[in-house]
Amino acid sequence: MAIKKELNISPVGRVEGDLDVKVYMEDGVVTRAHTQAAMFRGFERIMAGKDPQAGLIVTPRICGICGGSHLYCASSALDTVWKTTLPPNALLLRAIGQATETIQSIPRWFYAIFATDMANKKFANKPLYDEVVRRFAAYVGTSFQQGVVASGRPVEVYAIFGGQWPHSSYMVPGGVMCAPTLKDVTRAHAIMNQFRKDWLESIWLGCSIERYMQIQSWDDLMAWSEENESQRNSDLGLFLRAGIEFGLHKFGQGVGKFIATGTYLHKDHYQKPTIEGRNAALISRSGFYDGKKYHEFDHLQIKEHVNHAWYQDVAAAHPWDEPLPTPLVSQPLEHSDFAGKYSWSKAPRYMDYAAEAGPLARVLMNANPDNLLPHQIYDPLFGDVMEKMGPNIFTRVLARMHEACRLYENIDEWLRQIDLNGEFYIKPEERDGKGFGATEAARGALAHWIEIENGVIKNYQVMAPTTWNVGPNDEKNNPGPIEAALEGTEIEDPHDPVEVGMVARSFDSCLVCTVHAHDQKTGKQLAKFKL
Amino acid sequence: MANVLWLQGGACSGNTMSFLNAEEPTVIDLVTDFGVNILWHPSIGLEIGEQVTQLLRDIIAGTVVCDILVYEGSIIEGPHGTGTMNYFCDRPMKDWVKELAAVSGFVVAIGDCATWGGIPAVEPNPSESTGMQFLKKEKGGFLGAGYTSKGGLPVINIPGCPAHPDWITQILVAISTGRIGDVLLDEYHRPKTFFTDFVQTGCTNVVNFANKIDGGFGKRGNGCLFYEVGCRGPMTRASCNRILWNRHSSKTRANHPCLGCTEPGFPHNDLVKGSIFKTMKYLGVLPQEVPSGNSKLGYYMRAGFEKTMHALEVAVGVEKSHSDGSK
Repeated sequence: MAIKKELNISPVGRVEGDLDVKVYMEDGVVTRAHTQAAMFRGFERIMAGKDPQAGLIVTPRICGICGGSHLYCASSALDTVWKTTLPPNALLLRAIGQATETIQSIPRWFYAIFATDMANKKFANKPLYDEVVRRFAAYVGTSFQQGVVASGRPVEVYAIFGGQWPHSSYMVPGGVMCAPTLKDVTRAHAIMNQFRKDWLESIWLGCSIERYMQIQSWDDLMAWSEENESQRNSDLGLFLRAGIEFGLHKFGQGVGKFIATGTYLHKDHYQKPTIEGRNAALISRSGFYDGKKYHEFDHLQIKEHVNHAWYQDVAAAHPWDEPLPTPLVSQPLEHSDFAGKYSWSKAPRYMDYAAEAGPLARVLMNANPDNLLPHQIYDPLFGDVMEKMGPNIFTRVLARMHEACRLYENIDEWLRQIDLNGEFYIKPEERDGKGFGATEAARGALAHWIEIENGVIKNYQVMAPTTWNVGPNDEKNNPGPIEAALEGTEIEDPHDPVEVGMVARSFDSCLVCTVHAHDQKTGKQLAKFKL
Repeated sequence: MANVLWLQGGACSGNTMSFLNAEEPTVIDLVTDFGVNILWHPSIGLEIGEQVTQLLRDIIAGTVVCDILVYEGSIIEGPHGTGTMNYFCDRPMKDWVKELAAVSGFVVAIGDCATWGGIPAVEPNPSESTGMQFLKKEKGGFLGAGYTSKGGLPVINIPGCPAHPDWITQILVAISTGRIGDVLLDEYHRPKTFFTDFVQTGCTNVVNFANKIDGGFGKRGNGCLFYEVGCRGPMTRASCNRILWNRHSSKTRANHPCLGCTEPGFPHNDLVKGSIFKTMKYLGVLPQEVPSGNSKLGYYMRAGFEKTMHALEVAVGVEKSHSDGSK
């Protein structure tokens, strides 16, 4: 007879914010999981009735990790309402801010949040375990120290243009506040160069960025990792070998559908910001991938469901049509009713589907063969990796780390393109209306919707990547991506369910965003995804 | 040697992210060289679930000593005082904090949410958020005006949105090395060493302030942000222009108005229309808030004189050097 067991994990830890998870197991394998966002702040309610620019100050503070991304959205949303004109320099400096925040997150997330789990005793019988512990163990691991310290460098560049990181508000409708000088640009180049030399090439890759960027397929990647000792023994080389040895490619599949709102509006293609013109101006493209084919992104296809969230029931609606959330009484994990309401996170759906947001979604969009315009990223690697490996913990980690090299090159190029004789800000005229702004935060699709009436905010809705990933069931009782990804996971030691943490952390869950913006909890029957 | 427990309530994790940027010492130096033992931290702690709950129980029971309780984020009391909008380890976070504060050596509130409520406490304060020992300017907060920790101090407030990493690490080092006696606190329980000078001290625009030259966005080094775009540098105590951010910068050095985030009440004026990146004025001319240490009338008269003198000097071609910017 099967041994059935329930496990309440509160908190999951090393996700940003409070994530609680309930899993149901049969013979040690998760059959069902519920994710619960356990904290509510009500940011959308706070912004209602306030100054139209309140989002520039408030939304970066929804999340201290993705503050620059929220700022990118908040300023963009206002640009579309106020019909601003954006100088190319402003678009460049906003993109640089977004990119430095994301590249910062790459080593910080890998070493501080994710890789310490690979040093968990669960893997002690694996041949590569001793080497993994030597490098990745918390605080004392050699790479942990170098990686965490290096992660502070790119945001120094953010600070040069934005004053500080986290929590600047330097992107404003009409442009940016700063007007950098040559010494700012030179210093930014130098800092990024040090980041490249101190960590990216020396520790992570074991080769030049240029060599790494030649990789086009899974076979190329495998050949790269065996090309020489330097690459084989780099942290990426070790992750590739240990990841497979530890079986990280065998769990955490998810829903198999992906959403990206895209980011980096090209300096020459978005000087007149409109919602309609946004997709074509993106360097890293938006889209929805349903597991078989790509769909053009249309923000009107998004609806939020609240029937399993601790808010007063309203029918699933597009953010412009949603009322401000009215919070209801919540319960702790042990006493939650997962057939009813069980999370502070809402459940976003695209064309009625749950979809995974994050670096894997982004690199999948980059692999879209339709990315033919010169300013659009086309990179086939993850089209191939997904065919060979499917979505799982290993693929998700690889996708995130893969972005570092391209981001480095982008930042370098954009710094060179700043025209010191050009404008940085064009003062806009304030007006009423509806707006939409979006980006890709380090951890995935992020979007803001605003409505301004009589010169104050009437409605403000934030949809964060973790809302996509950790949201609860929808009206049809279909699970969210993390709930789905937990299903089928084998838990070796119920007293140390590290596997649950690894699945959640592979999504780089950030509950602080999700919770303020919406609710965050999930817990319903999980859909199965078969490779 | 000091055991540190770090918890987050109504938080954005911004102070943790700021803390991870610390340089001298780094977070790793703190652990490996300065005797700080992190019992648990939500972003970098290794324990999960029941292991964390057991640690909290052990601290409360006295079997594990917590020398420093660091708290980030607001105390969420909603709805209706229950605190159930923020569960942690299956209880309202506020209930854990109450019991942990009673047994901890020192309590350090980090960031505006923990010190005085911050953005979550802005009207209508949907989560009934408050700070550890203040709500905005009012003393009391969650732990009450009379609270002192076992070490004999009230909650040590390190405000800022976020707090500067050096402000955090230096206070942790002061406690762990037995030098907390050298840290003096001001009326808002802020360490005076960081919060006596104003943000304007060290601002690269201070000459333009003196000459009453207006600045604005997208312009290079040619004006003070106090007059038109709402800079609060002259009335905000913090060392942002003395201990720079991310080693290089500060808001005002990047032409970003100071938001006044180290003073209770941030975001000031509760984000009302006209308060964001605009200097609120009487009669469209006179700033409603004047630099600290000035009477309103005195400031208006001095500023009026300076502005007139400056305009005259510019007209006759005497003074223009300080208002020029260069790429």
